[in-house]
Amino acid sequence: MAGTTGKTLNLKLRIWRQSGPDKEGSFVDYEAKNISTDASFLEMLDVINVELVKKGEDPIEFDHDCREGICGSCSMVINGSPHGPDRGTATCQLHMRRFQDGQTVVVEPFRAKAFPLVKDLAVDRSSFDRIIQSGGYISVNTGNAPDANSLPVPKENADMAFAAATCIGCGACVAACKNASASLFVSAKLAHLALLPQGQAERDQRTLKMVAQMDEEGFGACTNTGACSAACPKEISLENIARMNRDYAKATLKDRKTSV
Amino acid sequence: MSIKLESNTPEGPIEQKWDSHRFSMKLVNPANKRKYQVIVVGTGLAGASASASLAELGYNVKTFCIHDTPRRAHSIAAQGGINAAKNYPNDGDSIFRLFYDTVKGGDFRAREANVYRLAQISNLIIDQCVAQGVPFAREYGGLLDNRSFGGAQVSRTFYARGQTGQQLLLGAYSAMMRQVGLGKVKLFPRREMLDLVVVNGQARGITVRNLTTGEIESHAADAVLLATGGYGNVYFLSTNAMKSNVTAAWRCHKKGAAFANPCFTQIHPTCIPRSGDYQSKLTLMSESLRNDGRVWVPKNKGDSRPPQQIPEEDRDYYLERIYPSFGNLVPRDVASRQAKFRVDEGRGVGPTGEAVYLDFADSIRRLGQKAIEAKYGNLFQMYEKITGENPYEVPMRIFPAVHYTMGGLWVDYNLQSTIPGLHVLGEANFSDHGANRLGASALMQGLADGYFVIPYTLGNYLASQDLPKIDTDHSAFQESQNQVRARLDQFFSINGSKTADEFHRELGQLMWEYVGMSRTAEGLTQAQEKIAKVREEFWQNLKMTGQKDYRNDELEKAGRVADFLELGELMAKDGFDRKESCGGHFREDYQTPENEALRDDQNFCHVGAYEYLGQENNKITWQRHHEELSFEYVKLSTRSYK
Amino acid sequence: MTAKTSYLTSTIGQKQVVALSGLSLSLFVLAHMMGNLLIFVSPQAYNMYGHALVSTPLIYVAEAGLVLFFALHVFLAIRLTWLNRGARPQAYAVSAKGEKATHFVQKTLLAQGLVILVFVILHLITFKYGKVYWVTYDGVTVRDLHRLIIEVFSQPGYLTWYLVALVVLGLHLSHGVSSALQTFGAAHPQLTPLLKKIGLGYALIVSLGFISLPIYVYFIY
Repeated sequence: MAGTTGKTLNLKLRIWRQSGPDKEGSFVDYEAKNISTDASFLEMLDVINVELVKKGEDPIEFDHDCREGICGSCSMVINGSPHGPDRGTATCQLHMRRFQDGQTVVVEPFRAKAFPLVKDLAVDRSSFDRIIQSGGYISVNTGNAPDANSLPVPKENADMAFAAATCIGCGACVAACKNASASLFVSAKLAHLALLPQGQAERDQRTLKMVAQMDEEGFGACTNTGACSAACPKEISLENIARMNRDYAKATLKDRKTSV
Repeated sequence: MSIKLESNTPEGPIEQKWDSHRFSMKLVNPANKRKYQVIVVGTGLAGASASASLAELGYNVKTFCIHDTPRRAHSIAAQGGINAAKNYPNDGDSIFRLFYDTVKGGDFRAREANVYRLAQISNLIIDQCVAQGVPFAREYGGLLDNRSFGGAQVSRTFYARGQTGQQLLLGAYSAMMRQVGLGKVKLFPRREMLDLVVVNGQARGITVRNLTTGEIESHAADAVLLATGGYGNVYFLSTNAMKSNVTAAWRCHKKGAAFANPCFTQIHPTCIPRSGDYQSKLTLMSESLRNDGRVWVPKNKGDSRPPQQIPEEDRDYYLERIYPSFGNLVPRDVASRQAKFRVDEGRGVGPTGEAVYLDFADSIRRLGQKAIEAKYGNLFQMYEKITGENPYEVPMRIFPAVHYTMGGLWVDYNLQSTIPGLHVLGEANFSDHGANRLGASALMQGLADGYFVIPYTLGNYLASQDLPKIDTDHSAFQESQNQVRARLDQFFSINGSKTADEFHRELGQLMWEYVGMSRTAEGLTQAQEKIAKVREEFWQNLKMTGQKDYRNDELEKAGRVADFLELGELMAKDGFDRKESCGGHFREDYQTPENEALRDDQNFCHVGAYEYLGQENNKITWQRHHEELSFEYVKLSTRSYK
Repeated sequence: MTAKTSYLTSTIGQKQVVALSGLSLSLFVLAHMMGNLLIFVSPQAYNMYGHALVSTPLIYVAEAGLVLFFALHVFLAIRLTWLNRGARPQAYAVSAKGEKATHFVQKTLLAQGLVILVFVILHLITFKYGKVYWVTYDGVTVRDLHRLIIEVFSQPGYLTWYLVALVVLGLHLSHGVSSALQTFGAAHPQLTPLLKKIGLGYALIVSLGFISLPIYVYFIY
C-alpha cells in the first residue's frame, strides 16, 4: 500500500459506530496497518472499509464526495477537532503524513442537536438548507438582470464578499463551537450578500429571517470563542459574525414588524 | 422500434435561429403553468438553474439530488471560470468568435446552431449571475475582470479566484432555495434515480431510492429533466467526485434514449499524478496555471536529477517547441496527448515516471512570488497539501486525468432526448462541445441550458403535447418499482467475494489502457471483450454487505458500477466505430506524420448515437445511428495550433 | 415556514443584552476600582469618597441600574448557557488540542460568573451591610470604611478568597470586554486584534487595581 514516497504507518483507530439515529452508538477499535503516508484520511478509511466488507461486516459510513475540499461533505471530528488538526483543511485533504506511527486516532461524527445523526459518521445537515431558503438569496428572477457591468463594486468589497462566500457549508463551525452555534455559517452567507450593492434591498429582512431560522433550528448562541473560524476549512473570519450582530440590531430597530 | 435523430434545428441564418425559434414556439398560458408538474434530477449548475427558472415561471417543480444538500453537486469543484462574449476587455471578442472558437475547439463534431445559441446566451448568464450576487473577480475600478483561459486568444473568462464553479453553483442554489422557500420547488435530497417511467412513449416520472431510509419511491410528472452530469468515473480514477455516475442517464438510455458520442472523453492535462493503489480520485489543478507555468521534461531519458539541477539546455519545453504560436496554451486534448507521448518515450518524471513538470520559476522571477500567490495561491496550497511539496520552490508534477465527458444522451435543439418529455441538460447531454470541450465552457453550457434554454423549450413541449393526467398508481410505476427492487435484491443474492470498488478499479484500468488518451482498433476490440468479462464476473462474484432498507454506500456503489460496466463497453464500441481521430478521441491508426489527429470528414462528420436494443445473457446489442453535421459558418478545416 | 423574529428571544438579541449589561458592569468595576485606589491617598480621602457617593440621591438610581444590569446579565447568561448546552445533547469523547482548541477561560464563563455572583453577595454583606464604624472629619461624621477594610483584609482567609474572586473577575473580563464589543458588531481586520488587546488590558488593570488594595493592607499597612 506504499505511495510514491514509500513510507507507511500503522494507527489505532477508535471510530464511532451507530447504525441509526435511534440506535445505541459506541466506539469500536480498528487497526489501520501499512497505510501510505501519501494517502488521504478518507483513503485510509476506504482501506479499512474494504477489509470490513470482505469480512461481511457493515462498512463505516461517512459523507464524502469531491475529495478536494470544496463540496463540504466531510463531517467527522478527528481527535477532538472537526476536519482534524490542520487549519484551513477539510478531512479529505488531510493526509496521513500528518500522523505519527502508532498514534491513536479517535473519530466521531459532528455532534449537534441541529445535525441529527444518520449513521456512523454521517449526519443530517439540512438545517443549513432551511436557513438559506429562509432568506439567503437575492430575489432576482431569471432574465431580470441588468448588464453585469452596470453596477461597479469596489474591489475590496468584492474580495471580502468572495472571502465570505467561499464557505463550503460543511458545518465544522457548528461542530467546533462549544455551543454548537451556526453563527459563522449564517454570518458568512449574510456578509457575502451584505457587502454587495445587489444585496442591499433585502439586507434587513434577510438578516432577520436567517437569524430567526438559525435559532429555530436549535443551534446555540455565539460566545465569540473563535473555535469556529479555527476549524473552518476556508478560514472564514469572525468579522462576519460581528457584522451580522450589527446588522441584526440595525434591522431590528428599522423593522416595523419585529416584536421585542 | 427504431429511433430517429431529428435535430429540429430552426431554419434561417444562424444569428436568427434562436430568436425566430423563440417566437415560433408555443407558450403555456401563465395561469396554466401551475397545473404542470416537472421533475428535475440533479442540482448542479444545470439542474439548479433549471429548477429555479421553471419555478419562477410558475411550474411546480420536484427536484432530486443524490447529496444531503443540493449545494454539494460536483459543479462546485469547477475551478477556472466561465466564458462569455461580453468583449469587456475590447480585445476583439464577439458572439461569433466565441461560437467559432467553440466549434473549432470541438474539432467540428458539434451542432453549429446549438453552439451559436450558447455563445449568444453566454452574456445573459454573466448578467444573471452578477445580479444574484456571484462575487466575480473585479478590477480596481469596480468592474468585472476577465482572463484568458484554456487556449483562447481573447480574455473572455469571468472567474472567482479558483472557485468559480462554487460561486456559480451557490448562486443557482440560492435562486432555487428561494423557490423552495416559496413552495414552488419541492426538494428531495439524498435520492438516487434508478429508473425512468415511460407511459405511452412519454417520460412521465421516475423511480428513486431514498438513500437514507432505503425506501423506493415513485414520482409522476408531465416532463422529466435530467441534469445528472458526466460519466468520467467509468475510469475509476478521474477528477469527478466520488458519487458522480452514469446511472440516471443509463437507465434512460435503456428506456429508449439514444446515447451520443460516448467515446468523446476529455483528458485534462494538468492534474496531480496518482501516488498509489489506495488512490480514490485525482485532483485537478486549474488549467489557468498554464498561463504562467511552463511545461517541460528532461531531454534525456531517465534523467533522475532533481528538477532544479537540470540546466536549461537539458530541458525540453515541448509544447513551446512543437506549437510555437500557442505554446503552453494549446487545447486540453493536445496538451494531454503530448504529455502522454513524453511519458511513453521514457522521459516522464517523478517516482512513477508518469508525470511532467509545470514550472513557475520563470514567472516567479518575472512577476514576483506575491503576484503568483495572488493568482494561484489556493491552487498552490492545495498542491502542497496533497503532495507535501512546495510548488513555489519545486516545479509541480502534473499528468493528464479524465475530467469531462463530451458524450451523453442525445438531444435535439430543444434539449429533448429521443424519449418525448425527457430533456437532458448540462454535461449529461452531448450537445455543445463536439469532440473536445474548451476550458471555461462547461459552466457556461450548464447555466445556458438551465437558465435560458429549457424555460422556453419545455414550455413548447408542454403546450404542444397531449398529456393525460397520470399519477403514481399507474401500473407503469408499479412495474418500474418492481424492476428496481428486483435488481437491488439481486446484488444481495450474489454472495461473492469481490467488492464493487474492486470491479470498478478493474474496469477503470481497462478503460484507461484501451479507451484512454490514445486508442487503437485492436485495443478497442479487446476492451469490449474484457469489459464484458468483468461484467460477467460482477454478476457472479459481487460481495454485498449492509442493509437494503437503510443507508448503504456499498449498495449505491454496486448499482453505479453495474451501469458503468455496460457503458464502458459502449464507449469502447463507439471508439472502435469512429474510425478517425478528432478532439478527445485519438486513434493511433488515424494520425498525421506529425502525430496530430487526422479527422475523416468524409465519413465521420456526424454524431454517432446508440440505441439500446437489448441484452441476452451477457451480450448487449446496440444500433448505431447518425446525425449528419453540416458546417456552413465555420468551414471545416484542420485544427492547427502551430 | 418563516420563523418568527423577536429580538429578546433571539440568540443575538439576548447576547446583546448580556453584552450591554456586561459592558456597563465593566465600567462600574473600573470606577469602583479607581475609587478604591483612594486608600493610597489617605484614610480620610477614602472615607470621604464613600460618603460623597452615599450622600447623593443619584445613588439610588445607580444602584437600581446596577441591580437591573446584574440581574439581566446573570439571568440571560444562564438562559443562554442552558440553550447552548441543549444544542449539543451528546458531548465529544475527546476535546480539541492545539490551535483548534477552545480556551478554558471561554469554556468556563458560567462558572466564573457564578463565582463572581457569590462573591458580590458576600462582598455586599461584608462591606455595604457589614459592621459600621464612624469617624468625624472637620465636624462631619462619616462611615469609617477604611477601618472595616483594614480589619477584613487582615484575615488571611478572606484575603485569599478575595484574591481568587478577583482573578476570576479578571478572567471573566479578559474574554467579556472584547466579546461584548464583537457582539455589538465592532470588527475590522486591523481593529479586531486591537480589541482583543484592549479587552485583556482592561481586565488586567481592573483586577490588579482591585488586588493592590488588600495586598497593600495585608503586607504593607
